[in-house]
Amino acid sequence: MSDIKNMADIEIRVQSDAFAITHGYPETLNGRTDIGAVVSFTGLVRDFNEAPDVTGLSLEHYPGMTENTLHAIAEQAWQRWTLQAVRVVHRVGHLQPGDPIVRVLVASAHRRDAFQACDFIMDLLKTEAPFWKKEHAKSGDYWVKERHTDQTDAQRWSSS
Amino acid sequence: MNLTHLNAQGEAHMVDVTDKAETSREAVASGCVFMQPATLALLVEGGLPKGDVLATARIAGIQAAKRTHELIPLCHALALSKVSVDFLINHEQHCVEVSATCRLTGRTGVEMEALTAVSVACLTLYDMCKAVDKSMQIEAIRLDSKTGGKSGDYRRAGYTSEAPIVTGEGDTGEVSLRERCPTAGVRVKFLAELRERLATSESFVSLDELPTSDIAGLKAVLAQRDPRFALLNEQRTLCAINQVMANDTARITDDDEIAFFPPVTGG
Repeated sequence: MSDIKNMADIEIRVQSDAFAITHGYPETLNGRTDIGAVVSFTGLVRDFNEAPDVTGLSLEHYPGMTENTLHAIAEQAWQRWTLQAVRVVHRVGHLQPGDPIVRVLVASAHRRDAFQACDFIMDLLKTEAPFWKKEHAKSGDYWVKERHTDQTDAQRWSSS
Repeated sequence: MNLTHLNAQGEAHMVDVTDKAETSREAVASGCVFMQPATLALLVEGGLPKGDVLATARIAGIQAAKRTHELIPLCHALALSKVSVDFLINHEQHCVEVSATCRLTGRTGVEMEALTAVSVACLTLYDMCKAVDKSMQIEAIRLDSKTGGKSGDYRRAGYTSEAPIVTGEGDTGEVSLRERCPTAGVRVKFLAELRERLATSESFVSLDELPTSDIAGLKAVLAQRDPRFALLNEQRTLCAINQVMANDTARITDDDEIAFFPPVTGG
């Protein structure tokens, strides 16, 4: 585990503005040469989900609790693996198919830590962070239902 | 562009829709009833003489949508497949925002049905509250969106099919002074789908109403106010006290912020 953690090593953003699909990469590297691995995950809005023809998505959240929860998840990852940076950005408001909705970037000295921490953060984000999706489809609007598989994915981390 | 309800002689007539294709259609309309802050507070607390205002206005709106053809001369009678009427309490502007969604698969649009539902729901709100406030104003009744049909989709400029992003006190980065509760008590928020199913976004419960000072006690008080709050006892409904997850036995103290919400679906 890294002994020194700067405030800048964990960055959490919840925003209605779009973010670049490279978000976090240049900011994290920024001339550093001690980083050996960067793993990032980008989630996009699909044009099919519970309905076949999704035309858009509205994302609601619980301001304050959202940021705190994401921070707590990033901190847990920091405790579990040897990491050098964690950056999470999540959009809220109105989105269209193809828009990036979430991006998690993890940097570490060795690849295994970065792979696992990124996977862990996404699993916990899906089950703990207070975001709610409402999908707009040609057949009408509906709130997205929670998925059992997301719960079982998150539980993998509590048994290991 | 022609007015379809006028024939070649300029006389009113009902449009022949026999040969139009059946398509899936939806219309959303909205309106607003502005009132005195004290009236809104009574409405939220359920303290008005005629009883549950929102439940009554909802039924009135749904009934009205089904009878639109009896009110508007050249409308066809439609077999609607869905009518819903929702309310959002806006404390900042002290008004009730009313929205109605109508849907069917058929040959004519459902804009008039949605607009009629909103109009009659607003009128019923007025009727239910007029004993305490005659200065209420019904405003901004309008079509927000429609989909399906030959004329294509329409979306009012500025309308974002609002699942509003729940903002706390002021926007991100802003500091605002929170209105202090008049008596010792807790503010209760309902988020996302739960807010829509309950047709309310916020309630206030004073501490002396609580049979026990915990979440279970709070749920009991709310369920007594309105049977709809039985939804809070569903196993999938989650709860947070001051933005930290909590269960039924968690203690409640003065000025806590309690939130109820469905399972999360982000990412």
